[in-house]
Parts: sequence; C-alpha cells; structure tokens
Amino acid sequence: MQGLKLAANYLRIGILNEFQYRANLYIQILQTFIALGTGLIGLNLVFNQVTELGGWTKPELLAVMGVFTITGGFIRSAIQPNMERLMEEIREGTLDYALTKPADAQLLVSVREFRLWQLVDVITGLVVLAVALTQLNWLVSIWSVLGYLSALVMGAIMVYSFWLIITSTAFWFVRVNEIANLFEGLYAAGRWPVDIYPNWLRYGLTFLVPVAFAVTIPASALTGRLSLQTWLGALALTLVLFTIARMIWLTGVKNYSGASA
Amino acid sequence: MSSVISISKLAKHYQVPEREAGLIAAAKGLFKRTYKTVKAVDGISFNIQPGEVVGFLGPNGAGKTTTLKMLSGLLHPTSGELSVLGYEPAKRDHDYLRQITLVMGNRNQLSWDLPALDSFDLQRAIYSIPLDEFKHTRDEFIALLDLKDLVQKPVRNLSLGERMKMEIVGALLHKPKILFLDEPTLGLDVTMQKRIRSFVAEYNKRYGATVLLTSHYMADVEALCKRVIVIHHGRLLFDGDLSALVEKFSAFKTVGFTIDTPASDLSQYGDVVSVDGSRVTMRVPKEKTSAVTSRLLNELSVVDLTVESAPIEEVIESVFSVKRETLE
Repeated sequence: MQGLKLAANYLRIGILNEFQYRANLYIQILQTFIALGTGLIGLNLVFNQVTELGGWTKPELLAVMGVFTITGGFIRSAIQPNMERLMEEIREGTLDYALTKPADAQLLVSVREFRLWQLVDVITGLVVLAVALTQLNWLVSIWSVLGYLSALVMGAIMVYSFWLIITSTAFWFVRVNEIANLFEGLYAAGRWPVDIYPNWLRYGLTFLVPVAFAVTIPASALTGRLSLQTWLGALALTLVLFTIARMIWLTGVKNYSGASA
Repeated sequence: MSSVISISKLAKHYQVPEREAGLIAAAKGLFKRTYKTVKAVDGISFNIQPGEVVGFLGPNGAGKTTTLKMLSGLLHPTSGELSVLGYEPAKRDHDYLRQITLVMGNRNQLSWDLPALDSFDLQRAIYSIPLDEFKHTRDEFIALLDLKDLVQKPVRNLSLGERMKMEIVGALLHKPKILFLDEPTLGLDVTMQKRIRSFVAEYNKRYGATVLLTSHYMADVEALCKRVIVIHHGRLLFDGDLSALVEKFSAFKTVGFTIDTPASDLSQYGDVVSVDGSRVTMRVPKEKTSAVTSRLLNELSVVDLTVESAPIEEVIESVFSVKRETLE
C-alpha cells in the first residue's frame, strides 16, 4: 500500500515539524482547558435547572462532550490543516508540485499536514469520555463499542468529505476561507446532541455539516441509543459524501490551470 | 532515433474575465462578465531527441511556462498533439510522472522548517525509490553540489542559492528521464548559477536525460544548450542551433580595429560605438560587413581587425522586440 506508506511518511515529517514549535504545545494545552472548562460550566448550569435534556442525562451529555472534544481534536490535527494548505495552494497556483507526483493527488493533498499538539484535545476528550462512562458504571456492550468506533470512523470520513467539497470549490471561486470558518461555527453546535435542536436545525446540521454523524451518533452508540437503521443510514451517507467529494475534487483538478499560467 | 518529446500544433487558449478599472466596472462585473481569449500558446510544433538539452526562450508571457505545464501534465491543451515518452501528459499517468520532473525557480517544495534530508525521505516515499538506490543517488548529488554540511540544517536557514540546490536534488532523486526546468537559476548570483548549470550538465551526461530549460540568463543557455527554441506571443519564432539564432537575428556585426594614423571621418564606414585612443569599435549592418572591412583595410592603415557577432543578449533583445502582428 503506497498510500499508507506515504501517509506514514508525511505523519513523521509533520511530527518532526511540530517538535520545532514547542510553544504551540503549551498554548494548545491552555486552549484545551479553557474550552473544556467553559463546556463543563455550561453543562453544570443546565443541570442545575433540569435533570435531563432531550432525553439525555448528565453523564450521557458528558460523554457527548468527550466525543465532541476527541473528534474536534482529530479534525484540527489531521483534516483542517491539510484543507487549509490546499486552499492556499489553489489560490496561489502552487498545487503544481502535488499534481506532478506519481501518487493519487487527492491522497497526497489530504495527508501532507499534521498538527501533533492538537492531539491534546483527543487525549482530553478520552479522559472526559472515561469519566462519563464511569458515571454510567461502564454499562457498555461490545456492540456499543463497535458501533461507537465505526461511527467515529464514518464521522471522520464525512467531515473530511465535507471539507474537501468546500475546499474544492476554491478551484472555481478562488477565495473560500470564509466558508471554511463557517464550518467551525457549525461544528461548535455539536457540543450538544443534535436531538435537542429544533428539527430544521437538526437536519441542517446533519446534512449540511455532518456534525450529528461526527459527534452525536458515536455518543449515541456508547449510550446504547444507536439503532441498526441509523447506523446503516450513516454508512450510506458516508459512501455518498465521499463519492461526491471525490467527483468534485476530480472536476476541480481538471479545471485547475494555475494562477500564473 | 525517435523523439522523446513531440509537439504538433499545440495551443492553449484561456478565457479571462476582462473589465475596466474602477468601482462601477467592478460592480458591473458582478452581474455580467465579459471574457477575452488569451492565446498563451498558439500553434507551436517541435521535436526533441533523447539526451538533448534545449533552451526554451521567450520574453515574459511568451507561453514558456504554459508549454512546460502542458508537458508536465498540469494543463490540458486546447488543441494540438502532445506526446512525451509515448505518453499523453494530461492523463497524468503515474508511470509517466515517475519519469519526469518539474522545477520552478520561483516555487519551492521542500519543508521550510525541516532539514532537506527529511524532505528527501518524503520524495523517496512518493516515488517508491528502493532504499539502496535512493541513498546512492542522494549521496552522489550531495557530493556533486557540495551540500554535505547543509543537508542537516533547516531549509529556512539556507541561502537562496543553497535552497535551490536542495530543490534540484529533491527533484532529481527519482532520476527522471526528462527535466522541465523553469528558471532554475532565478535570482541567484553568478557563482551559484554556474554550480547549478554544471550540475544539470553533469546529470544530463551521466543519465542521458533530456532537458528543456527556460532561463532569462543567456549564460545558462550558452553553457548548456546547443539548441534553442524561441517562442514569442505563443508562436514559434526559431528552432535550431544557438549559433544559427545569432546568425539569423543579429542585424549587426561589431567590427573592431586599431589604426596607426587618426582618420578624419569614420562614420562613413559604420556606426561608431567607441573610440579609445587608436582602438575603434563600430557597428556595421551584417550584409555590409565584408564590404566595410575591405574598405577599411584598403583606405586606412589598419593594424588589426576583428569581426564579432553581436552579444547574445542583444540578439535575444532584438528577437523579443518582434511585434505580434509580424508573426501572424
């Protein structure tokens, strides 16, 4: 598998690169704790008033927050930096080097960057999740765990596909940074399970930005709420989104002509 | 021998949005855009044989980079035929891409914050180069370019010239058969230009690679390329030996001579460029050179006489000043 080898090599380079910027680690730790702190305060404020929210108990919501933090960390460490670099290269016409390499260009542009320190979020998220599961007395079946892990992977693929679609529009619109900022705003809504939002917003979040699939569904799996039907739906959507992303990317590359040409 | 690169009636036209300057024009552009067709490359044909080093010349905007981009598969031609090593570049077949390289003097591909060695490893992964072969090639290039002490330094700490050397090493690690070099010596000092030049020459010699090179420095072209292809306004202007180019496009020759006794009126022979003591330099129209020199020898007491072609820069300058209309 040349693809895996390539990804591993870029991962190595990315990690080497990050070690040059130690200060980023400390800043990241600070950011993570501020985000976690405000999240926990919010959660407590809500549960001072009510005992459950949209059918979710406090430890269950804590689990959602854990997944939210894990997925967010992964997106910011592996997906977002690549897409931002791609956007910049499309705008400046420097994508040429990636396109003249004997490797799948989509793969290449998707694995070039890696922000190691963002993984602080992943670790923190895992701790939060562990705390939540302890409060739930670890009542999780093997099916829940499998459902959870598969939902995480599907969520990651969906978020990646979504980002790639948005980024590929840069082939036509050149400047799309603002659209990318939009993602972050919408993703923040994933802090809460999407079921608590009104229907229109819920479907919007699910289909426009696969937040539900990235956060709510994995958390649902762990808390025993995930039905096979939903899981299959997620699988289908993952495949569809990935295919669409691939098609848009290929069309975009065809359309690409280099800024200085 | 069959050609490695063959181009026939190749054209690339762009549609570019066009508008006048100013706010109102910009606002109009939101609703209705007018497009203008730019003929970046407009029907050029040439063939290149294996192992040739060809200088690809033309002023800015002549269509050199566009042609190189079509050759390396980045751009689809609007029309015409293009075949390199038997491949159609625009298909970007991996087997094709493995055999070529593209170096652009104004863009870098090495990781800015890491030593070049790390970036080289990445190239190895991208091109799936066997480890032994990779190490051998890498060390060979490092020695050739004298980079031993620099490969461990982060690229950002290198000088422009050192960085360019690293770029070239990185771009050649997979030992491509065809090199597309777009201004590889851009902005470098003379010594550095020479190093890069001799490296390219050495690579060409060792591996029999074919090189298509664009450069604004005529010294690069003179040192490396026997053959030059000149394009201008997207059209082919000249294809042949560098010496023939000079012959064809230099309208003047420089005649220099030393005279014993000062002559009264030298301007009757030609355009006097300088008089330095008894040494005179003048420009003479090419077709009149022999007539003028024999007159000089007969009518003046000339001690020695030299006839030189105009410097290559001057020739190129006169080629580049050709108007578009005269090419149509």
